[in-house]
Amino acid sequence: MINAIRTIASNSTLANIAQNTSASVGIETTLKSIGRPGFILIDKDIDPDTKQYAAAKEFLYQATCLLIYLFAIVPIFKNGGFKLAKNTIFKNKNGFEHFNSVKEYTHYRKLADNPSITNRLATLNKELADKTPVKDKYNQTLINELKKQDPEKFADVKGAIELSNLIGSVLGLAIIAPQASHAFIHPALRFLGLESKDKKQINQANQETNKNIQENKQPQPPKIDTNV
Amino acid sequence: MGLTDSIKKICHNLGTNNKPTYVVMAIATVKGIARPTFTMMDKTENPETKKYTALREGLTEVIAIPAYWACGELSAKAAEKLFPQKTKNGAVNPALLKAKKNLMFMGVCAAALFIIPGTCSVVIKPIMDKLGLKAPEKKQPKPELSKNTTLNTNTVLQQPKPINQTININNNKYNTLNTYANRPQVGLRVGGL
Repeated sequence: MINAIRTIASNSTLANIAQNTSASVGIETTLKSIGRPGFILIDKDIDPDTKQYAAAKEFLYQATCLLIYLFAIVPIFKNGGFKLAKNTIFKNKNGFEHFNSVKEYTHYRKLADNPSITNRLATLNKELADKTPVKDKYNQTLINELKKQDPEKFADVKGAIELSNLIGSVLGLAIIAPQASHAFIHPALRFLGLESKDKKQINQANQETNKNIQENKQPQPPKIDTNV
Repeated sequence: MGLTDSIKKICHNLGTNNKPTYVVMAIATVKGIARPTFTMMDKTENPETKKYTALREGLTEVIAIPAYWACGELSAKAAEKLFPQKTKNGAVNPALLKAKKNLMFMGVCAAALFIIPGTCSVVIKPIMDKLGLKAPEKKQPKPELSKNTTLNTNTVLQQPKPINQTININNNKYNTLNTYANRPQVGLRVGGL
């Protein structure tokens, strides 16, 4: 049992995920989309209709945030942040000179994290889909590093990618995605039959009433259509 | 130290050691400020409901920040009990370093999945009660809108009144009126009404 825990705890793949901002945030958001609706559903103080509505709304909110985060925010911030760091902050130094994109660095980093030099060299000799060997993608400095027992991992490049991801995650999950998800959640709830179409009309009426209250107006009686 | 140097330093630190707690705590902090602000800016919602929801959202993130940190750090400490600090040749145990990161990540996941929602459901209600803020009443039945009803800006939707509400109508004048309904309906009646 202890050995099994030790094996999981020292797993290299999990360690890479834990060090990768976008992967860890993606996993946590997925867990939130299960955990939060689950806790709403087991709450005995809420009436069943409200529970169902609140749980569905929470699930849709988290799921929408996750999709927006993974498919819009991560690619934009990751690639944009890398280019900004390479050209403006580090001025193509501190390891940035070896890589043209995040994809190139991620591939190198994966190889550098592999403890076996033999496996690394075998991967370098493999061919890509366009028949070019993998090693053609790397310059001589990187190939020499990969031949070492403890290759250089270019912490500044990794850090720039993670910082971009972190800023993207914060802006995306705390500000952009919640606003964007509103456009999707209400139609989805109506499609599931958990929200009435009249809600929009009621909201408009509430808005009108609130406006009247704020302006200290006397509430107007409803107009009766005498033609009916 | 200029801004560029600060960013370089942050990049180096994140590249060397990116703890899973950093990002979740940063997100929780910004959410704790942004979500209540957005809620209070919503013009369609009732002011009392807005205040209640905004405070609830803020409190959730206030609970989340220390919960993420505590769960992450405590889980990382547990790694030290599973693995020896040094290898046989005196070097830092690489398995321990990996285990610290992995267990910290698992701790953060546990916080997101169980600890934060659980703590919030136990703690928030009593705090809100102490602050004197009650949850908005359960949804009242929606007003019936027939298919032919057209809504315009002058339409006021009638909300059903709570049963225990007292309706103050100045009807004293009706008590003094000698109407047909007020007359005794028994005995000899002379004249018309």
